[in-house]
Amino acid sequence: MNQELYQYYIIDRVHRGLRSDWKEDLAGAYSALGLSPEERMVRRFEAACAKETPVIHPLEQIAMRRTLRKLPDVLTEQEWADVRKDHYVHELGYVSNLSPDYEKTIAEGLLARRESVTSSQKRIIDAIIGLCDRYRDEAVRMGRDDLVSVFTQVPRYGARNFREALQFFRILHFALWLEGDYHNTVGRFDQYMYPYFQKDMEAGLYTKETALELVEDFFLSFNKDSDLYVGVQQGDNGQSMVLSGKLADGSEGFNELSELCLLASRNLKLIDPKINLRVNKNTPLKLYEKGTELTKVGLGFPQYSNDDIVIEGLTKLGYDYADAVNYVVAACWEFIIPGVGNDIANIGAVNFPKLVDEVLRAYLPTGGDFAGLLQAVKAAIQTECDRQTATIQNVWFLPSPFMDLLRDAKKYNNFGLHGCGIASAADALAAVKEYVFDKKAVTPERLFAALDTDWANDPELLHLLRYEAPKMGRNDDRADNMGAFILGTFADALDGKKNDLGGVWRAGTGTAMYYLWHARDLGATADGRRAGEPFGTNFSPNLFTEIPGPLSDIQSFTKQDLSRTINGGPLTLEFAAGIFNRPESIGKVAMLIKHFVERGGHQLQLNAVNLDAMKDAQKHPERYQQLVVRIWGWSAYFVELDRDFQNHVMARQEYAV
Amino acid sequence: MTGIIFDVKEFALNDGAGIRTTVFFKGCPLRCAWCHNPEGLDPKPELYVKQNGCLECGLCRRPCSHPECQRFGRCLHVCPKNLVTVKGEEVAAADLAARLLRGSDLLRASGGGVTLSGGEPLLQADFACELLDLLNGKVHRAIETSGYATAETFRKVVSRCEFVYMDLKLADPEEHRKWTGVSNEKILANAAWLKQSGIPHTFRTPLIPNIVGTPENLAAIAEIVGADPWEQLPNNALAPAKYKSVGRVWRL
Repeated sequence: MNQELYQYYIIDRVHRGLRSDWKEDLAGAYSALGLSPEERMVRRFEAACAKETPVIHPLEQIAMRRTLRKLPDVLTEQEWADVRKDHYVHELGYVSNLSPDYEKTIAEGLLARRESVTSSQKRIIDAIIGLCDRYRDEAVRMGRDDLVSVFTQVPRYGARNFREALQFFRILHFALWLEGDYHNTVGRFDQYMYPYFQKDMEAGLYTKETALELVEDFFLSFNKDSDLYVGVQQGDNGQSMVLSGKLADGSEGFNELSELCLLASRNLKLIDPKINLRVNKNTPLKLYEKGTELTKVGLGFPQYSNDDIVIEGLTKLGYDYADAVNYVVAACWEFIIPGVGNDIANIGAVNFPKLVDEVLRAYLPTGGDFAGLLQAVKAAIQTECDRQTATIQNVWFLPSPFMDLLRDAKKYNNFGLHGCGIASAADALAAVKEYVFDKKAVTPERLFAALDTDWANDPELLHLLRYEAPKMGRNDDRADNMGAFILGTFADALDGKKNDLGGVWRAGTGTAMYYLWHARDLGATADGRRAGEPFGTNFSPNLFTEIPGPLSDIQSFTKQDLSRTINGGPLTLEFAAGIFNRPESIGKVAMLIKHFVERGGHQLQLNAVNLDAMKDAQKHPERYQQLVVRIWGWSAYFVELDRDFQNHVMARQEYAV
Repeated sequence: MTGIIFDVKEFALNDGAGIRTTVFFKGCPLRCAWCHNPEGLDPKPELYVKQNGCLECGLCRRPCSHPECQRFGRCLHVCPKNLVTVKGEEVAAADLAARLLRGSDLLRASGGGVTLSGGEPLLQADFACELLDLLNGKVHRAIETSGYATAETFRKVVSRCEFVYMDLKLADPEEHRKWTGVSNEKILANAAWLKQSGIPHTFRTPLIPNIVGTPENLAAIAEIVGADPWEQLPNNALAPAKYKSVGRVWRL
């Protein structure tokens, strides 16, 4: 890694100080002129390109950075309000969370693409070329002959080599953000870039070391402007890269470039790009070991997705096999199709713990049996899915002519619903079955009285339901089967539904931020959860569940038919960074991941948890039940340790590699 | 038959090859001053009160009517943070074997298996044998033992294992008695048998400063070990922390 560049962009962030504000009432001006939304998008893009100032760091190989801060909006507040009156506006109203086809444009060049596009798109292309010409002029001024050569070729013409292809990508990606599109994903980078890479390697243009340096320079570019690309939190910016995985001809996609990307991410230790590894039952252990070497760094990468389950699931939803096999991961974990996808994979979320709570309150007093309770839950899930799908009609986006240029078609227009709090809801049902129905140890009146007082009147019931009842994450069929019931019901409820774009609805296991939002206003629940206590993230156990270990956790969350709830959302395993310090641990963790895939899990994310998390775990142990730490000859759950163990481990972490 | 265990740890990274699940047998005939599993000493189930995070709410000290709580003088079913627990669970060998075998495809595929630890597994030798027989041919079996048992007991249990970790702590019989509470006579005899048994094994010595980790003692143990594999384990500075939870006093 080039230390000077790293210092400049990451530590000192000098470039951020060189940006300027663009404070102009564009929306007001456009509104006064009566311009169409598309015309506004094009005009703003042209203006932005003209306002951008080319700046090149003397040492960087991949150029282009934002010098404008926030873009002024193109619609006035009143216009937005008018749009919202008649339409469902998804998030910010700009297209997001898509996977563009970079490959075609990088190969052909913008001038060739210009032949057969709309007039708006021609203007966009001209604006990009104009900005890039000014970058070339800046390179000339600086005597950077290498960049002059690159910018003379791209983006006008197709890339001839790896370096030009990377710069071309950078231009396209930069332009997407400048159009106002967000959560712009990277896709199967190691596949579409490989021909350029391979040709240059064969020609001897790079050694492995110099190629790695170039890839690192390129990776750094994702972090230059990312502070401007804020989602729910800083870092929530959708710059997801997918590596390896099954190819259309059935072969495996892992190649030397995939390997370099893993290495570059390990070396840079930066939050972007976010690395996803596609794996399947044929993936060799070696690849999991390489992935685990990256996990060890503590970034939470790579996230694994299982081709066997995802491709099957997408095919069941109606995706053509040729597209499904090419799936990528969107901003977080949603599975989408590059180039032809127009899915809105995160359009809503179902709050399962709330639904189950409402059903319990309505059903238990009737004295019906447990089968009847499940029927009532099924009906409630159906009602909620009906309600959400009915509410989301007439979806409206600002036009995105440039994003459209990077898509061959809008072949898939499916909407995805997250499934929030699945473990919490499953545990609640399992607890009620166990204690209210089977053992008759708890009456409904007692349960509701405890829930209504947030357990204050009945600490024994809290203990029973929170610590002694069946839980997902403990490899207990009583809870895991309830998880399967909820997922199956969720999938059934959306099956056959069409959205207003003609697409289908996809059920998922992700929570996004809803694990906080949905939980905040929900009172105590029958799984022993306290009022307002957050759910587990995504498809993971309740935070207070005492997990016997990662084997039980994996077994609990791989019993269900996950191919039917394939919108995305992983099981998360937390490990303390220290366990990776013994070289043989890499292989052991790798085997654990392989086991997860072989058991039919759909998506897995591993964390090597750091000191900050442990400090927080001391204040909020209930949120860190799965945190594993290595002591001396044994491993333990951090929260099970007494304070002096914890302090010792924390002190040791500061010296850990 | 049934036995008493105090923990089952999945993904134990330091108890042998591959991915392993370790079962901790409750009860130990030794009283090593440095023991880092004090909850494994008493053969009977005992109260274990985690010290970290107690709200001092007093709920556990109120009288309750659960029969299982009466002998401990604390209610086990009321702590809002689940700090009041019992270490020691009576389990049938068949049930325990079934539990351990639930992830056995992974344990096998990884070249790992099950490790019996403790406490001292040899103290529940018949139970250990039944468990090991139930696991036979299904997973790799290892044991961690002090080697303190009659020759007959030692041989029948370790013969059922594919790998043995055996402690050699102090070579001098008097020193051994002073620091562990028992003579090392049986241990040395069993070690001698193990060396020629053909069962793969590793001797282990915990480097307790000034007691075990002295040059004289290590030289004497080196002589006993001879050319066999020998691991010297670093002193566990965290060992004292659990003593308060079981109401014991750290002596060192």
